[in-house]
Amino acid sequence: MNAIEIRDLRKSFGAKQALCGLNMTVPVGAIYGFIGENGSGKSTTEKIICGLIHQSGGNIKLFGRDHTDADVRARVGVLIEAPGCFPNYSVWNNLMLQAANLSIKNADDEVRKVLRTVRMEGAASNKYKNCSLGMKQRIGIAMALLGNPALLVLDEPINGLDADGMRIMREVLSDITKNYQCTVVISSHILGELEKIATHYGIVRGGKMIREMTAEELEAGCRTYVALQTKDMNRTKTLLGCKYSRVVEENGYIRVYDAESPEEIVTYLYENNILVSEITTDKIGLEEYYIDLMNEKEVR
Amino acid sequence: MEMKFERNSFGKRLKSMLSVDFRRMFTMPLFYIMVGISLVIPILILVMTTMMDGTVSVNPQTGVETVMEGFDSTWQAIGSVSGEGMMMDMSLTGMCNVNMLYFFVAVFVCLFVSEDFRSGYSKNLFTVRAKKSDYVISKTLAGFVGGACMLIGFFVGAMLGGAISGLPFDTGTAGIYGIVMCLLSKILLVAVFVPIYLAVSVAAKQKTWLSIVGSLCVGMLLFTMIPMLTPLDSGIMNVILCLAGGVLFSIGLGAASNKILRKTSLV
Repeated sequence: MNAIEIRDLRKSFGAKQALCGLNMTVPVGAIYGFIGENGSGKSTTEKIICGLIHQSGGNIKLFGRDHTDADVRARVGVLIEAPGCFPNYSVWNNLMLQAANLSIKNADDEVRKVLRTVRMEGAASNKYKNCSLGMKQRIGIAMALLGNPALLVLDEPINGLDADGMRIMREVLSDITKNYQCTVVISSHILGELEKIATHYGIVRGGKMIREMTAEELEAGCRTYVALQTKDMNRTKTLLGCKYSRVVEENGYIRVYDAESPEEIVTYLYENNILVSEITTDKIGLEEYYIDLMNEKEVR
Repeated sequence: MEMKFERNSFGKRLKSMLSVDFRRMFTMPLFYIMVGISLVIPILILVMTTMMDGTVSVNPQTGVETVMEGFDSTWQAIGSVSGEGMMMDMSLTGMCNVNMLYFFVAVFVCLFVSEDFRSGYSKNLFTVRAKKSDYVISKTLAGFVGGACMLIGFFVGAMLGGAISGLPFDTGTAGIYGIVMCLLSKILLVAVFVPIYLAVSVAAKQKTWLSIVGSLCVGMLLFTMIPMLTPLDSGIMNVILCLAGGVLFSIGLGAASNKILRKTSLV
């Protein structure tokens, strides 16, 4: 069964077409990395899933039921843009209010549990307006986690955080995926972070889903490259450029994307009197895969 | 694999929504400020107008003398007897009575509703609430209770103001029964105004200023009806009339608010 099944989703804001027939399938239990450029339609899709805006066309099913079904929607947790909290209330009171909204019986225990999950036990009495951006994002996640959600929709929860905030958020997200049996849809521009937790990916562009794949498919689809260093990088690059179609210099290394094996490159350079000082093979990550895909589509 | 979801009955949904709204209302300073203002205003009005009663002011240009008229009875702060002041009374005693609280209720309801949208809490609310009617019913009831508390605050303030300023408490032709019915009618009349303010507020969403201005403008249209519907010598018919009006407005405008929420963006 799929947690989310979207077919031919369309949404227009006046003359602007934000979504043009988007399809999306998120299996139950998946951690779905939702990727796309700014304005590609990620947030619009998420808001429609959560019933915050209305689609112009298409249909959405959550766990096999219509997305407007009250019983299903009661089990959706959301953090879209900023967390929806009252600034003059304490963190605890904001969470208790959401607990009341969800008719949670042991509200105190449940609120303590989510505060522990987001590493905010010590800040429960702080006023929301006095919290840092990282804390606010974690409070938003705590609110979304209340009531044992079956589906968690997190819109860019790590954007704008400093290194420490990002580290804590990574730990929090990792805990959620381990300890809460829920399907997570998470959109972010920080693909390196997303890659560490996502099991499925959806790449959206211009209001359309251009690719959906599992983490395994991404792994298989990511090309291997050979990275090397020599004493004469300019000559090496020119030489390799004559033999291989894609040679890029990046971070002090020359990357060759279409070589059969590292030995082949070493031999070729040796024949041309260049000695290789360091050589490794690696695979491109999600970020490069995404950039490649975007470039590919742009060319088309 | 079929996932099972607990059934969320209307009763359960409404109960949780009411608990959110009442918890919010009774923990927000705004509510206590509004009730406090409602309590203090009649004391100030009654004491000050009594002090100034009979004061003569002369227009230096025209030489026309104006005699300041204060309240004759404490109950004038609550309403006028049938036949008196039924038209739009622009005198001080006609304007400065409990009826002006319906405008204060507008400010309260608009701030209460718009805060949901301005803080972004509406995202949490409406994500887990597919049925917008829960929100409308709950907000109408909370607004009604808030407005009723303000009216009661004004009534208590009028009694205190009357006692401080030494105004008579003579019920005259209205009688205790009439005054009780008048107060009850006025409280029930809040249920006519709250759905109007709620509809304007959900349409304006986070634009607080628009919801307040809109509510005051629409409320103004019905303002002239208040003295006619709720005279000081009200009877059971006035109570029934206000109750029926409240129910009708709540259902009709509640449906309109529900439609606005269903058809428009909630963020």
